[in-house]
Amino acid sequence: MSDKEFTRMMEGNEAAAWGAKLSRAEVVPAYPITPQTELISNIATLIAEGKMKTEYIMVEGEHTAMAAAVGASAAGARVFTASSSQGVAFMDEPLWIPPGRRLPIVMCYVNRTMAPLGGLRPDHNDSMHQRDKGWILLYCENSQEVLDTIIQAYKIAENPEIYLPVGVCYDGYFVSATATPTTVPDQAQVDEWLPSYTHEWYSLMPDSHKMPAPKSFLEMRMGVAEAHEKAKKVIKDVDAEFKKQFGRGYGGIIEEYNCEDAEAVIVTMDSMTGTARDVIDEMREEGKKIGLIKLKCFRPFPSEEFKKIAKKYKAIGVVDRNNSFGSAGGGIVAIELSRALYDAPDKPLIVDFHVGLSGTDVTMNQIRYIADETLEAAKTGKVKHVVDWVESHDLGEVM
Amino acid sequence: MINEIFDQHYKDAKIQGGSTCCPGCGGPLFWKIALQVLGANTIVYGDGPCAMCALRNIKVPHYGIHFSFVADGATGINAALRAKGREDVTLISSAGDGATADISFGKISAAAERNENMIQICVDNEAYMNTGIQKSGLTPYGAWTTTTPSGKTDNKKDIPMIIAAHKVPYVATASVAYPIDLKRKLEKAMSIKGFKFIHTIIPCPTGWRFDPAKAVEVTKLGVDSWVTPLYEVEEGVLKVSRKAEAKPVNEYLTAQGRFRRLSEEQIAYIQSEVDDKRDDLMAQDGKKIIH
Repeated sequence: MSDKEFTRMMEGNEAAAWGAKLSRAEVVPAYPITPQTELISNIATLIAEGKMKTEYIMVEGEHTAMAAAVGASAAGARVFTASSSQGVAFMDEPLWIPPGRRLPIVMCYVNRTMAPLGGLRPDHNDSMHQRDKGWILLYCENSQEVLDTIIQAYKIAENPEIYLPVGVCYDGYFVSATATPTTVPDQAQVDEWLPSYTHEWYSLMPDSHKMPAPKSFLEMRMGVAEAHEKAKKVIKDVDAEFKKQFGRGYGGIIEEYNCEDAEAVIVTMDSMTGTARDVIDEMREEGKKIGLIKLKCFRPFPSEEFKKIAKKYKAIGVVDRNNSFGSAGGGIVAIELSRALYDAPDKPLIVDFHVGLSGTDVTMNQIRYIADETLEAAKTGKVKHVVDWVESHDLGEVM
Repeated sequence: MINEIFDQHYKDAKIQGGSTCCPGCGGPLFWKIALQVLGANTIVYGDGPCAMCALRNIKVPHYGIHFSFVADGATGINAALRAKGREDVTLISSAGDGATADISFGKISAAAERNENMIQICVDNEAYMNTGIQKSGLTPYGAWTTTTPSGKTDNKKDIPMIIAAHKVPYVATASVAYPIDLKRKLEKAMSIKGFKFIHTIIPCPTGWRFDPAKAVEVTKLGVDSWVTPLYEVEEGVLKVSRKAEAKPVNEYLTAQGRFRRLSEEQIAYIQSEVDDKRDDLMAQDGKKIIH
């Protein structure tokens, strides 16, 4: 098997496995859960075929998967793991450890709805639930972006200024099981770009043991907060460097699409962004001044970027594929964005939309409705509903 | 001269003074003995339980999280050691009785199934002592705790035999009251590749209710009365380590306040259980018991 670059149709989970392989993850503790399963079975296949060399451990549950990831990372190994939904929830306790311990673990969150009544299909509550723990969270739109983001994630996580775990999130099925053309880069080129990992602060090995503990809990927490601030620049720089080397970039932490002269924009994440691009293109042709912002990086939240561009628009429509029940108003992204813009001059109106919950299709009709409502708010200066549950409206034929 | 001898002693010791453990706790005693055998090229994983307060004082690399994390992080460390080609390092995973028998029971079972190359130690002081004496799956029948004020009505899990049934290469019970036997078992565990399990009873004067000065004495009575017998199971073959005549369990039970409400019938029940266990062990001594 040659390690040379090749391009073919590939599902998101297979692309993620290639991402872990190309990053030369040394330890992969794994436990299966739909829709993450094909990711870890693809890794097992890559190992069985002799294409990937890693210590692969089939553990007995997600709690152990993350605990083993912590142990391996503390002992100096580059670690990869993945989970979804209830599995992420079962992992909740160990997921608190890597940020405070500053362990650069990379994990895929293959997004899936939480119970009860949840299906197997995606919404974002499983990964957004991690927002307070200190993980960097990046959301991907297709297979290629998943593969590239995993490689980028190690470079971000292992930066001594950062030393934080990174979650690479993508929708179950819509990304995990949908094949899109994907280029797998040359291993040698990745090796050159992503050097092998050594933690500058820690070593658990008896002959080089060092493990400085923060002086206080406050110092530890402030350290994580500071690293998140620094990460905003590092994520952008890493994306730019990646683009220079591999020819593909993702705009760093947010991507503005067709935002030129727009009166209003909608904010999307993950796989629905592809649908939204088409709708925005159509509406532009119709002369509507609407644009799209893809929120790639949810943690750290790109407050400064939004503040910078906010005055250009009269209204922002946020598409929240999650719930935060009893919140100050709407879904998680809308709440975050409202805080980010609170002290901005000439701030736009914020309209929040719940759509695609539990993996229901986010249709072109729905995106068009969201864009129209946001344009309407821009025109009238009024927000009709703090939260609009889009699926409760009859929007006619699905398309 | 005297000062120099002391200085050298503390320099060589793998455990430093100033432990936060209660007086008479068997924890520091266990680690002092164990680390004399294990040496400096050791990583210890585990944290939380009371009897492991002593781990804060050990001088070898130590990584611990919480008592719901047993053998799991050590599994990761083990994988990292393999990835780095560092199989010279001795890996210890340690847990208290509540972690071993209750909250992390499945984790130890899974590590045993995977035959992880580590020595799993159960530091058993027979209750959740750190939170203030609450019953665990390893609290013995009849013992008072704050959650069993009239004495525990259920039996203690037979953890060493449960682990042995996983067909791991080595399982042993050991006691700080018999340090030579304890050291020999650790040495043997170090010489074997795969999952090794050592179950050690740690005296707890605070929770067992006895004079801290008598910690070793009480623990020794536990072994001598066969309440906590010493044996090993190597490659499925049972070997009883101490075959002395059994002292009456009453001597062990009355030495501790936690058993003071036992009725004569209860004591007779405990004696008959212990006798049966002793007969079983002696009958199977030298035989393959795990197939």
